[in-house]
Amino acid sequence: MKNPSVDTHLLPADSGTIGTEPLLAVDNLHVEFSTRQGVARAVNGVSYALNAGETLAVLGESGSGKSVTAQAIMGILDMPPARIPKGEIRFRGTDLLQLSEAQRSQIRGQQIAMIFQDALSALNPVFTVGWQIAEMFRVHKGMSKKAAYAKAVELMDRVRIPAAKQRVNDYPHQFSGGMRQRIMIAMSIALDPEVLIADEPTTALDVTVQAQIMELLAELQRESNMGLILITHDLGVVADVADKIAVMYGGRIVENAPVHDIYRNAAHPYTKGLLESIPRVDMKGQELYAIKGLPPNLLDMPTGCAFHPRCPFRQDDCVTDVPALHEISGTRSSACHYWREVLDGTAG
Amino acid sequence: MGRYVVRRLLQAIPVLLGTTFLIFTLVYWLPGDPIQALAGDRAVDPVFRATMREMFHLDEPLVVQYGYYVQGILSGDFGTTFRGLPVSTIFEGKFQITLNLAMTALVIEAIVGIGLGLVAALRRGKAADTAILAFTLLLVSIPTLVSGFVLQLVLGLQLKTSTGIDFFPVAGTSEGWRSYLLPGIVLAGTSIAYLTRLTRTSLMETLRADYVRTAVAKGMPRRRVLGRHALRNSLIPLVTYLGADLGTLMSGAVITETIFNLNGIGRQLVDSVYLSENSVVVGIVTVLVLIFIAANLVVDLLYAVLDPRIRYE
Repeated sequence: MKNPSVDTHLLPADSGTIGTEPLLAVDNLHVEFSTRQGVARAVNGVSYALNAGETLAVLGESGSGKSVTAQAIMGILDMPPARIPKGEIRFRGTDLLQLSEAQRSQIRGQQIAMIFQDALSALNPVFTVGWQIAEMFRVHKGMSKKAAYAKAVELMDRVRIPAAKQRVNDYPHQFSGGMRQRIMIAMSIALDPEVLIADEPTTALDVTVQAQIMELLAELQRESNMGLILITHDLGVVADVADKIAVMYGGRIVENAPVHDIYRNAAHPYTKGLLESIPRVDMKGQELYAIKGLPPNLLDMPTGCAFHPRCPFRQDDCVTDVPALHEISGTRSSACHYWREVLDGTAG
Repeated sequence: MGRYVVRRLLQAIPVLLGTTFLIFTLVYWLPGDPIQALAGDRAVDPVFRATMREMFHLDEPLVVQYGYYVQGILSGDFGTTFRGLPVSTIFEGKFQITLNLAMTALVIEAIVGIGLGLVAALRRGKAADTAILAFTLLLVSIPTLVSGFVLQLVLGLQLKTSTGIDFFPVAGTSEGWRSYLLPGIVLAGTSIAYLTRLTRTSLMETLRADYVRTAVAKGMPRRRVLGRHALRNSLIPLVTYLGADLGTLMSGAVITETIFNLNGIGRQLVDSVYLSENSVVVGIVTVLVLIFIAANLVVDLLYAVLDPRIRYE
C-alpha cells in the first residue's frame, strides 16, 4: 500500500488565519447518542481553544462529556449511535467535521494523537510493543521494517523505558502499568503531533507512577511545543502541569479559568464543590466533603442550570433559565447566574 | 513448548485408557451372544462354542478381557474379529475416507462459516446481517437426510441433465476429491451455522475493544484496523471450535456416509455394533479418540501462536 502524504494544502501551516486562530478550536460542539431510551445529549455546546505549547485541563466527573468531546476531536466516536448535530472543530482553521474519513485518518495519529486511560486494554495484546510503535512509521511514513523498529527503540528510550532494545519485542502484558502507559505515550508522540489528547492518562496508575507520567508528559510537551489536552477528574494532577482549566458539567463548560485563579477562588458552585472535596492534611479526622446528589441523567436533563438540583446556592431562576457563559475577565468565564456572589463568597 | 507437548501427550494416556475402558464395558454389556451371531438361526456346535470362548477369553471377567485388549494395542495389534480377520485389515482405507470427508467438511465450514460471520459482523443490523442470521437458522433446522438427498437431486442430477455440468458425483469415491464435495457440504451444514454465529459474535466483541479504538486513533486505514488488529484477536475462539469440531465431524459422518455410499468408518462402526464385533467397535473408538486428542493438541499449540499471553511452560 502506498503512503499518501498529508494534504498540506488542506492544513495551512502558516496561512493568514493562524495569527488569530488558535491551533485547535472547539466551537459550540453538540454530541448526542441515540439509545433505546431516547436521545442522550452528552455534549451541549462546548467551546474551548488550545494554542501550541499550551496545556488545557478538562475537568469533570464521569458523564460530564469531557471524553466524548475528545473522541469527537479525534473522530473516533461510533457514528451511529453518536451524532454531531451542531458545532465545529477547527484544527489550524480547517473544520475537521467537514473532512472525509480518509482525510481525517491522515490527521489522526500524525497531527492529533491521543493516549487512553487503561494502557493494558488500549494496547493490542497479540502484537509486540515494538510492532505497535513501529506501525506508525511503517503505515504513515512508509519506512522499512528495520528502520521503523529502530525508531521504536529510540522512542522507548525517549520515554525512559529501561533496556528498550531488549524489550522492543516484548508484549504489553509483560510490562508494568506505568511502563505500558509510557509505551502508549511513545506511540502517540511517534510522529510529532501538534496536539496530544490525554484521556485520564494516570487514573489507572499508582500515585508515585502518576507523578512520573505527568512529569514525562510535561517534559515531552516542552521539547516539542505541542498543545496538550489533559482530561481528568483529579484536581491534584492538574495543578502542576496545566495552564488553563475548563470545568465541565452535564455536557457544558461551567467554568473557564487560568489554573492559578481557580485554585484561589472558584467562580462556579460546582468548581467550588470539587475544590472542597479534595482531601487535605490539615482537615485530618474530619468528614470528607462530597457534592450531594448524583450527576445529571443525560436522557433527562434538569431544566435551567444542569447543576441546580445539587447546588447549595440555588435560586428560583436557576431552575428555569439556562445560564450563559458569563465573561469575568479576558481569560475567565463562568456559567452561573450568581458568579459574582460565588466568587466573593457571599452566595447562599 | 517441547515440555508442554510431552506433558500433554502423557495426559492423553489416562484419557485413552478411560474412554476405551468405557466403550469396552458398554460393548461387553450389549445383549446377544457374538458366537451365536456368527451362526445366524442355526444351532452352534458346543465344541466350536467352547473353543471360540476360550480363544477370545470370553469366559474371563471384564477387567481381564480389557487387559488382554490393552496388551494387544500396546504391541500394535487391534485384535481379530470373530470371523477371523485382523481388525486392522477392516480399517484399511476406511479411516482415510472418513478423514477425507471430515477434512473436506472442515475446510468448507471454515471458509463459509468465517466468511459469513465476518460479513454479518461488519454489516451488523443491516439486511445482509439479518439474511445471514436467518440462513443459519435454516441450516440448523434441516436434517442431514433432507439436505443430503436434495443436494444429490439438484446439484448432482438436475444440474447435469439441464446444463450438462457434471461436477458433483452423488455417490462413491471414484472421482477423487470431487467425490467429497457434496457429502462435505451436507456434513458441514450445522457446523457452518454455529461457526457463522460464533464468528459474528467474536468479531463484534473485538471491534468494541479498546485496542481497536487505539488503532483507529493511530490513523490506521480501516482495512488494516480490521484485517490486522481485530481479526487476529477474534480468531482465537474460532480455532478452538474448529479443532473440537473435527472430532464431531468424524464421528457424526454415519448418515452422510450412508447417503453418499462412502465406505467409511462411520458405517463400519454401525455394522460392527449390529454384528457384535466388539474388537472392531472398540478399535474404531480408540482411533477416533486418538484423532480427537491430536486435534485438541494442535488447537492448544495454535493458541500460543495466536495469543502471546498464553505460554506453555
